[in-house]
Amino acid sequence: MSERLDFNSDAEAFAEKKLFRNRLLFGFIFVVSLFGVLIGRMVYLQWFNFEHYHLLAEDNRISIETLPPTRGKIYDRNHVLLADNQPVFTLKFTREKIDDIAQTEAFIGELLPNLSEAQRQKFFEKLRRTGRSRSILLPYSLSEEEAAQFAVQSYQHPGLSLTARLKRVYPFGATAVHALGYVGRINSKELSQLDERDYRGTEIIGKLGIEKYYESRLHGEPGIQQVETNAKGRVLRKLENIPAIPGDDIQLTLDIQLQQYAESLFSEHKRGAIIAIDPKTGEVLAYVSMPVFDPNLFVDGIDQATYSALLNNPHRPMINRGINGQYPPGSTIKPFVALGAIENDYISPLKKIFDPGYFEYKNHRYRDWKRTGHGLVDMNDAIVQSCDTYFYELSLDMGIDAIHDALAPFGFGNVTAIDIPGESKGILPSQEWKKTTKGEPWYRGETIISSIGQGYNLTTPVQLAKATAILANGGKIIQPHLLKDAKLPAPQQIEIKDIQNWNRVVAAMHDVMHSPRGTARRHGQGLGFEMAGKTGTAQVFSLNEADYDADSIDKRLHDHSLFVGFGPIENPQIAVAVIVENGGSGSGTAAPMAVDVIKKYLELNTP
Amino acid sequence: MKITLNSSHNVYRRNKTILQTLHIDGWLLLGILLLLGASTLLVYSASGGEVEVVTRHLMRIGFAFALMLLFAQIPPNILYVFTPWLFGAGILMLIGVLLFGDIGKGAQRWLELGPIRFQPSELMKLVLPMTVAWLFAHSNFPPSYKRFGVGAALIALTAGLIVVQPDLGTSILIAMSGLFVLFFAGLPWKIIFGSILSVVASLPVVWHLMHDYQKQRVLTFLDPESDPLGSGYHIIQSKIAIGSGGIEGKGFMGSTQAHLEFLPESTTDFIFSVLSEEFGLVGVILLLAMYVFVIARGLYIASQAQDNFTRLIASSMMMTLFVYAFVNIGMVSGLLPVVGLPLPLISYGGSALVTLMISFGILMSIHTHKKMLAK
Repeated sequence: MSERLDFNSDAEAFAEKKLFRNRLLFGFIFVVSLFGVLIGRMVYLQWFNFEHYHLLAEDNRISIETLPPTRGKIYDRNHVLLADNQPVFTLKFTREKIDDIAQTEAFIGELLPNLSEAQRQKFFEKLRRTGRSRSILLPYSLSEEEAAQFAVQSYQHPGLSLTARLKRVYPFGATAVHALGYVGRINSKELSQLDERDYRGTEIIGKLGIEKYYESRLHGEPGIQQVETNAKGRVLRKLENIPAIPGDDIQLTLDIQLQQYAESLFSEHKRGAIIAIDPKTGEVLAYVSMPVFDPNLFVDGIDQATYSALLNNPHRPMINRGINGQYPPGSTIKPFVALGAIENDYISPLKKIFDPGYFEYKNHRYRDWKRTGHGLVDMNDAIVQSCDTYFYELSLDMGIDAIHDALAPFGFGNVTAIDIPGESKGILPSQEWKKTTKGEPWYRGETIISSIGQGYNLTTPVQLAKATAILANGGKIIQPHLLKDAKLPAPQQIEIKDIQNWNRVVAAMHDVMHSPRGTARRHGQGLGFEMAGKTGTAQVFSLNEADYDADSIDKRLHDHSLFVGFGPIENPQIAVAVIVENGGSGSGTAAPMAVDVIKKYLELNTP
Repeated sequence: MKITLNSSHNVYRRNKTILQTLHIDGWLLLGILLLLGASTLLVYSASGGEVEVVTRHLMRIGFAFALMLLFAQIPPNILYVFTPWLFGAGILMLIGVLLFGDIGKGAQRWLELGPIRFQPSELMKLVLPMTVAWLFAHSNFPPSYKRFGVGAALIALTAGLIVVQPDLGTSILIAMSGLFVLFFAGLPWKIIFGSILSVVASLPVVWHLMHDYQKQRVLTFLDPESDPLGSGYHIIQSKIAIGSGGIEGKGFMGSTQAHLEFLPESTTDFIFSVLSEEFGLVGVILLLAMYVFVIARGLYIASQAQDNFTRLIASSMMMTLFVYAFVNIGMVSGLLPVVGLPLPLISYGGSALVTLMISFGILMSIHTHKKMLAK
């Protein structure tokens, strides 16, 4: 080898060095230009796309937790709490930290024996579908004992944590459930209708009653908590905090004491409604729909078996009879028909007609409830004794449209706009009504039975209570409402042609209670105050000529028992409508209940 | 070869500085210290301020520094003598790895010799270019095609033994270090371009031979967003880290991507992303400037080297350093496939740093021992 080195001439060495240095130079240029490419790449990422990547980095780092607002509480008129929020323990499941869902489910089954299997399966089904970075709450409130048991074993289950949340609680249970309504889990239909931003972090929504009607006031506005989280979703520190705005507390016009008392008047398995209104204001003092059910069952989601039992209960507790129960008003409609007749000069209040116990029209006999007849009756007698024949005859003079026009201002056949969602309208028939709904002409025979609140007539209890209140307050068209500070339109006044006519009708209703021939005279005695009332017994279906034998037919087909009334007569403070489904006669069943409610209310409000 | 010590009187004519006594090149040392200083800061930040990690890092730096000093004392002619033996031993160890190696991450890379566990491929990073340089040491530049052919065969043998481990990334990079020697020895341009063309033409065949995980890496590289939760995740998060650094960066210890654990391997393969996030474009340019400074100094040393062996070693080592830095930065910024390669002199980790510091030791030795090789 060494020879070759020796043979290297200087020229060769120079050429060799030049070649090498060229290559070095080329190498260096190569290095610098490729580093230039890298810098170009960095300029692209860090300069041109800085905003984009900055956002992505912030998005990585910051996650937004919603702070759900505290739902407003609901109080009665005397500041008694009707719907509260109570802290309860529940378990939070962080999907990411749960390796074995089946094992976790087994653990929960053991830990919480009171959690029904169906509920557990449903929850774990949901958990399996939950995104990895999310966490969900078990819809179950742990007892303190269960919470303590969990705390001991919690280290084995890093994906589970005990957390407190506020749960809607109705301290009076089933009382006034149809007025209050209840909250329940937001379903997919509701989710599609509401603004998701407002409901982030909220799991419940008002489903019925006041809870639904005033949802927007009760709900409040969610707050935002910005937190810095690491790649595993763990919260490292809190950044910005916009606190939630809690929902408004609302006060109702209900008197829970009166409400409880009114509900207690229904013996077991009785169905019906009692609506009590302050006739001066339209404030609903008691809103009873029986039977009732416990709204607390729905708050965390009701299990299927209990729900089916409620739905299939033959007494239909889920029906809100106050606004959705549509009943023939029966004889309770008579004072209103009578007032319309004398105000519009269809009959003189003093005119007497003869009642032989029936009314004959076109070879058809329309029976009076009293088969022997009432004899000679004027308007006062007709109301006091609830003479049907008087009204049969009167109705033909008036015609259905005049009856309709007389009753419509009292709100029959229309919604009262009470602040409970889903109210039914009832039916106040007229020629036009029949033409548009049935496409048939009106028959005069139908007018006859309409005059005693049968036939097509249907009213809801709240309608009946409203009409009674208007009668009590001298024609001021009040709007029944449950919210104490409800914003209502200024009430209109029914046109009064002669105030004496109103006084006559009220006097007749007074006599129903206090005269020796009044249908409710038994219940008007010894009250300590005087009141007005009208009984009603509505036929559920036509018995035709056959004798009414209460015992021989199914109880479900018994007459509905109705009563409307108000008191004290000189300064009405409460107007009441009572309906007891299949309760028999109005005087026998509904009247004493109404009287008791009025009496109780006056007692409660006597200083 | 007339390798004698008779010119030593030149050295002793004036008082030697400490650096000269220790055979250290001051400029190179400055560049290395700057990079290692940056490395320490970044490892501290990327680890989330863990003193323990930094302590270990500094101990490794100290160990590697000692090795650099040691190799700086070894005259190049001694390396020259040992080169073929080292190559033979390296090849045997690579075969040993295939036969008895430890399996880690689906590939056999580690060899256990008693208590020592090391990667023979790491040794070959140094030895292969030295061997090819040894081969060309006494040829005129450019050497004959026959010698080029032998050199290429040695490169192919080494790369072949590594690629079957399988470790495609390392195999390519080691082959590169040998190929740079061919380049600096004056391999004709027509062969260079011809080879590049034939490599491109053979890519479909290579694709066919690739393991699935390698194919997946390539696919993910081409479209990282296609698998944002899987293999594309690293690159996406790394680009977010780099891009969100902007021009000035988020400041020291300000890397949210690393501290909140979005960035994988933040102290090792992806440490450049931490640098970019915390020090922005300014920091990136500073780092690249340091590399250019070190590489330029290394190439200068090569240009001043007195024989072909040392010229080729010095120049190819610098180009290898460049390639490692380029591939790592290209990888974390989404220009190149994810090959799992540390950023030279910056990443936390032992073996690569040791290899690099040894090569710097050799470089210094080349520069400081040359007066003894006076003709």
